[in-house]
Amino acid sequence: MSAASASAASAQSATRAPAATTRRGPTLPRLVASEWTKLVSLRSTLWTAAVTVAVAFTFTYLSANASSGDPGFDPARSLPDGVALSQLGTLVLGVLAGTADFRTGAFRSTFTAAPRRGRVLAARTVATAGVGAVVALLAVVATVLGVVPAARSRDMSVDLAGGSAPQVLLGSWLMLLGMALLGLGIGSLLRRTVPAMVAALALVFVLPVGISLGAEMAMSPTEMMAESPAGPASLDPVSTVTAFLPGDAAFRMTTTADDGGVDGAPDLGPWGGGLVFAAWIVLPLAGATLRLRTRDVT
Amino acid sequence: MIQVEALTKRYGTTTAVDGLSFSALPGTVTGFLGPNGAGKSTTMRLIVGLERPTSGTATVDGHRYADLPAPLHSVGVMLDARSVHPGRTAYRHLLAHARTHGISKARVREVIEMTGLESVARRRAGTFSLGMGQRLGIATALLGDPQTLILDEPVNGLDPDGVLWVRRLVRDLAAEGRTVLLSSHLMHELALCADRVVIIGKGRLLADAPVQEIVDRSAGGSLEEAYLELTAGSVEYRGRAADGTSASGGPR
Amino acid sequence: MTTQTAGRRAVTLPRVLASEWTKTAGLASTLWVPVTTVLVAVAIPLGLTMFARPGDGTTAAGLVVSGVVLAQLGTLVLGVLVGTSDHATSTAATTYTAVPRRLPVLVAQVVLTTALALVTAAVALGAAVLATGPGRQAAGLDLDLAAEDGTARAFVGYVLYPTAVALLGLGLGAVLRRPAGALVTGVAVLVVLDQVLAANPGRATDTVRVLLPGVGTRVVETDARLALTESASLGPHLGAWGAGLVLAAWVVGLLVAAAVRLWRGDVT
Repeated sequence: MSAASASAASAQSATRAPAATTRRGPTLPRLVASEWTKLVSLRSTLWTAAVTVAVAFTFTYLSANASSGDPGFDPARSLPDGVALSQLGTLVLGVLAGTADFRTGAFRSTFTAAPRRGRVLAARTVATAGVGAVVALLAVVATVLGVVPAARSRDMSVDLAGGSAPQVLLGSWLMLLGMALLGLGIGSLLRRTVPAMVAALALVFVLPVGISLGAEMAMSPTEMMAESPAGPASLDPVSTVTAFLPGDAAFRMTTTADDGGVDGAPDLGPWGGGLVFAAWIVLPLAGATLRLRTRDVT
Repeated sequence: MIQVEALTKRYGTTTAVDGLSFSALPGTVTGFLGPNGAGKSTTMRLIVGLERPTSGTATVDGHRYADLPAPLHSVGVMLDARSVHPGRTAYRHLLAHARTHGISKARVREVIEMTGLESVARRRAGTFSLGMGQRLGIATALLGDPQTLILDEPVNGLDPDGVLWVRRLVRDLAAEGRTVLLSSHLMHELALCADRVVIIGKGRLLADAPVQEIVDRSAGGSLEEAYLELTAGSVEYRGRAADGTSASGGPR
Repeated sequence: MTTQTAGRRAVTLPRVLASEWTKTAGLASTLWVPVTTVLVAVAIPLGLTMFARPGDGTTAAGLVVSGVVLAQLGTLVLGVLVGTSDHATSTAATTYTAVPRRLPVLVAQVVLTTALALVTAAVALGAAVLATGPGRQAAGLDLDLAAEDGTARAFVGYVLYPTAVALLGLGLGAVLRRPAGALVTGVAVLVVLDQVLAANPGRATDTVRVLLPGVGTRVVETDARLALTESASLGPHLGAWGAGLVLAAWVVGLLVAAAVRLWRGDVT
């Protein structure tokens, strides 16, 4: 610096010198904090979380009440009924989290603050996982609360530690959390709300129903009523395909290993289902990372 | 002619427009001024029936906007340059608007030419710069060759050439006997093209008089000074200068 | 130049319709959503024909209409897009300053959505018939429209049901004004809720299922399949057209709600 500019700089007492810090700029923890703040301040996050929990409670309650009259009533068996519908909530939460920045144009300020884009997505994934984990936990607790009245009416206690309950609860929690991440991946990859929402809803909910119901519609009822000619080891193409879709794979986590899965499909077991589900989650996230790294963000 | 009487609009507990009354007369350019959040855009939306007033009336040529048989031929309105679907071309946006009233494609081409959009007419509006979007908004307002024009910050984002063009356009339209109501924050520009100004603050009327009268009232002798004095108590969002003093220069 | 014709209404319904069509025709989604819908609706039957063998119980009619569940998603999206376009893109100011009486726009949107959905569904049906032709022939399945087993009704239903779902989407979009919300609600009420209830068969759940709009799929089932569906259900037996009426009631209810919201509230 020349003498003239040095004196000019010191004369500007009104401007502050930059504060000295040890590490400046967007580190991953800071990015996670930023993404968390953004996610939690979205109205849609609160909405979808509330609906997820409410639906989880309501459906478990109704289901348990309906079957409480049955002889072999096991409260733990009613637990997954609540999360079947409420997973729609966490899926939508994730999609909206993935599209939020692009929907509003806020991505410009995000990526000028943190130009290393892969990090932003990683931070967003961590933040969404955090929010998803909390919502999923609340929803699972809600399902437990949902079976309590029915169990009480039959003087049964809800044993959370014994039998299949721990695995069912953990599987449900993982399913809800995973759906949020799957939604995030699809939203981040497609970026526009309508295509992302349609893709997510189609993949998780409509496709399995469309395939299996379609196959049923194609069949003449007399054949449907007849016993399947081959033995239990035979694979039915329709059931096999749907078993590997994220909806069914995730749901397998909430059933026990000896449950056997769906007839005509390979039994992935809870662990296998989880792995297939995880693969479905990683795929769009990887695609989104690739897209961020190789293309312009406009 | 636009007539607003005791117009009030409440959203829940917030009152955006509070008992506002004023007129915009034919053959004059009426400037509409006020701080951000004063209720100018809301008032304009109420005049053209996009929102329903809580109480009071707003009429154009003696009728409620919805009762006009051919609204676009009576009133041309430009509210928000973002009111164009980003996936649509400028030409198609104007054509769709024209078709509601059976306005011809020739007229669509005419307004495109008038606003200088010929080179971008077939481009998607999502690719437009701020200035191009503004011109498209003005073209939309002019489509029906209306007797009354309501323009919300028309020169926002226009280059000096464009600012001059709007000034001339607006003065020519008034000279033809039409009514022009336009809001702006560019005081010096508005002083050059408006005949009267209506100043509002916090939804209420602060002044309604010819430009010269307002200017003469002020200590500094300019519209800007007069405006700042009148609206001093009604500013919603006040910033601070980098050295901590208030935005208007004096200590807080 | 234009002339001021005092007293004579310039904003007529045909003109508003022309305007809405101009708005829709310029958008990429107007082409892509129907095309994708047709492709997807044909993919299912095509996939199933690969596994069909003579004598395994596949019916020709059932095979052709098997893509209806996915087809309805496409037409739902179509309706939602038309219903939310003004609000999602803030073009409401432009639309309703031209048509301040507001309701003609909704009427025009209903007409437009119906036309687009009918064409999409009809093309999907034709494409499904053609695409499954070779496979059906190989499996010895003949399509007989004159048969008394409800094939003709199933085909008519295949065109009407997705159209009604499109109008359902329009109603949801016009009431909620947010595309995401309308889509999620539509899918939840048509597919997801139905599936969740189906997993817990019982009189209560089966009754609720019959009252959901998705019951309209029964119009697309052949007589034999319909009999099976109804016998498996402990809820009221409405028959095919009764099921269609339930869906129609939903559509009308939502459109009325949309009209009320449009008329009484603010559009910006």
